[in-house]
Amino acid sequence: MAYIHLDGVSRQYGSVWAVDRVNMAIEKHEFVSLLGPSGSGKTTLLRIIAGLERPTQGRVLIDGEDVTELPPHKRGVAMVFQEFLLFPHRTVYENLAFPLRMLKLPKGEIEARVEWVVGILALRGLETRYPNQLSGGQQQRVALGRGLVGRPKVLLLDEPLANLDRELRQEMEVEIRKHQTGLGIPFVYVTHNQEEALSMSDRIAVVRGGRIEDFASRADIYDRPKTAFIAQFVGRSSRFEAIVAGGDRRLALRGDGILIEAESQPGLALGERVAAYVKNEKVRLKPAEPGGADAPNALPATVRHVILRGAYAEYVLGWSGGELIASRPRSEAEFAEGAAVTAFWNAADVDLFPVSEPGR
Amino acid sequence: MKGRVAPAVFLGIPTLFLAALFVLPLLSMLVLSVWRTENYHIIRDVSFHNYAVLATEGAYMTFLMRSLVMATAVSAICTLIAWPVAYGITLYGGRYKLLFTLAFAVPFLTGEVLRIIALQGLLGPLGLLNGVLLALGAAPLRVIMYTNVASAIGLVYLYLPIVVTVIYLSLLNFDQRLIDAATIFGASPARAFFEITWPLNLFGTLIGFALCFIPCLSATLAPRFLGGPNGTLYGMAMAQQFGESGTWALGAAMGVVLFAVSVLLVVVAARLVDLRRTGFTGFGRG
Ligand SMILES: Nc1ncnc2c1ncn2[C@@H]1O[C@H](COP(=O)(O)OP(=O)(O)O)[C@@H](O)[C@H]1O
Ligand SMILES: [Mg+2]
Repeated sequence: MAYIHLDGVSRQYGSVWAVDRVNMAIEKHEFVSLLGPSGSGKTTLLRIIAGLERPTQGRVLIDGEDVTELPPHKRGVAMVFQEFLLFPHRTVYENLAFPLRMLKLPKGEIEARVEWVVGILALRGLETRYPNQLSGGQQQRVALGRGLVGRPKVLLLDEPLANLDRELRQEMEVEIRKHQTGLGIPFVYVTHNQEEALSMSDRIAVVRGGRIEDFASRADIYDRPKTAFIAQFVGRSSRFEAIVAGGDRRLALRGDGILIEAESQPGLALGERVAAYVKNEKVRLKPAEPGGADAPNALPATVRHVILRGAYAEYVLGWSGGELIASRPRSEAEFAEGAAVTAFWNAADVDLFPVSEPGR
Repeated sequence: MKGRVAPAVFLGIPTLFLAALFVLPLLSMLVLSVWRTENYHIIRDVSFHNYAVLATEGAYMTFLMRSLVMATAVSAICTLIAWPVAYGITLYGGRYKLLFTLAFAVPFLTGEVLRIIALQGLLGPLGLLNGVLLALGAAPLRVIMYTNVASAIGLVYLYLPIVVTVIYLSLLNFDQRLIDAATIFGASPARAFFEITWPLNLFGTLIGFALCFIPCLSATLAPRFLGGPNGTLYGMAMAQQFGESGTWALGAAMGVVLFAVSVLLVVVAARLVDLRRTGFTGFGRG
């Protein structure tokens, strides 16, 4: 039996189902991310686990206990909010001591535990400050500390890093994951930022329109997207439309001026329209060779822009059917803007999805 | 250039304003209070005679004490009523919030005198309330006929809208999600109220309390029309010095005493309360 169970959980606002028949099982030592675009229902789902919101339907179980009817203060969960929500009239020390006071722990125990959090989160020297005397990063640490100090059954985090700058965010990602491993409690982490989800999670639930699109290991989510939405939302990729033209072990697909070869997939019939996604980093480049056209998975293209991203160079390529991006390590041969190249990739790196509705 | 002129203008105007409307009248009161009035004439020799009268004639002390008790009681009652009312509006007002806020200003569209006289019509011996009681064969309620209770009711009625408005504005600026945070971390709803909601709205509550308390101290109309023979309040007595009795200098001295008492109360309150812990947001960062 998993540690946290969501059993057919739904939440309706007016005529909108913010959360729609969600089933999830989260293990005790797991770091799980809820990844989805803004408005997809992530916060609502988190608030349902916290007890701040009641599900319209379904049940929530934590540690074997049905907590669906339990108010938040009796659930033993903790939360880190996007806006921090530190108590502005209390010092850092008092903010950190708050969950412990509510647990009615003896004074000595409270002091020891706050001391512990102050230590692991590098808050020493800030104990007597008020929240408005702290930087964003420091407030974030206090918010995290307040979440950890009571040793909750589960820590819920709602986009906790969204208000921090990039550098600080990456630092905190490492730290958050470290504390999760150290404490051995499940973290449920809400984010719309795929990099955050990919960097920390054991498993990722992709949320879309209140539903869980897929709940799988981060490698599976990234490398083997189950739906076109996931292929589009996780990682960066180029998309081609094509028609299944034949083949058995390998599928041949024909699009506008492009020939794609992909590994065979069940359920794709001859003549069916499909969308093919190739991740930017799977697209490789070589100098254009005359007369070498018509090979599958190879596109003659021109380098339009080169965007340097530290260790990577992003090539924006123009081809007869539009644009395509290749992300290559700087250690590889570089191409100048205007260069004629051939972009190519492996059949195994093509993710195929039937196009059900036009424009999807 | 801009960096110097703007603060000078924006701080200068309120300073002038304060000087003209507050400091100058106060100074003139101070001066008048050490002069004398005889037969409706001001005699300009300096003495502390007026203050001696206030200290020795017991009636003034009684009026002051009665006023302090009255103002405290009325402000406390107003605050107790205003809190749930204001809180209810912030919670359930929905899109009618603005309407409710404006509605509280409606009583001010009629003058204070009118409202007090209307209340007299409700509470008096021949008033609506006792009229109904009599018609039903019951005894009239004596406590509301020209008593201090009637005065208190009148003052609550007069100042409740202000207190509700001030507390409501405070609650409007209060981030309700802090309550979510408190309950997540183990506070019951009641606990969350006393740990979070109440302290973070204490500043607003104190302002509301003060905006009721101070005018209650110097109230003249309510005790005059609703209070009975034992209902004379300090402000009413003070007004009489400037009116019927024509003892302006004594009235000025009473005013100075009232001002001193008010300042003292504010100072005591400020010493008892740590503004940082009251939801006062004027400190900014740093
Ligand atoms: N209190 C509420 N009242 C009405 N609609 C709400 C409420 N909270 C959320 N919603 C709606 O539910 C949907 C999901 O919202 P939310 O859970 O905040 O998404 P996310 O956190 O993924 O951005 C949105 O369409 C939002 O407008
Ligand atoms: Mg959200």
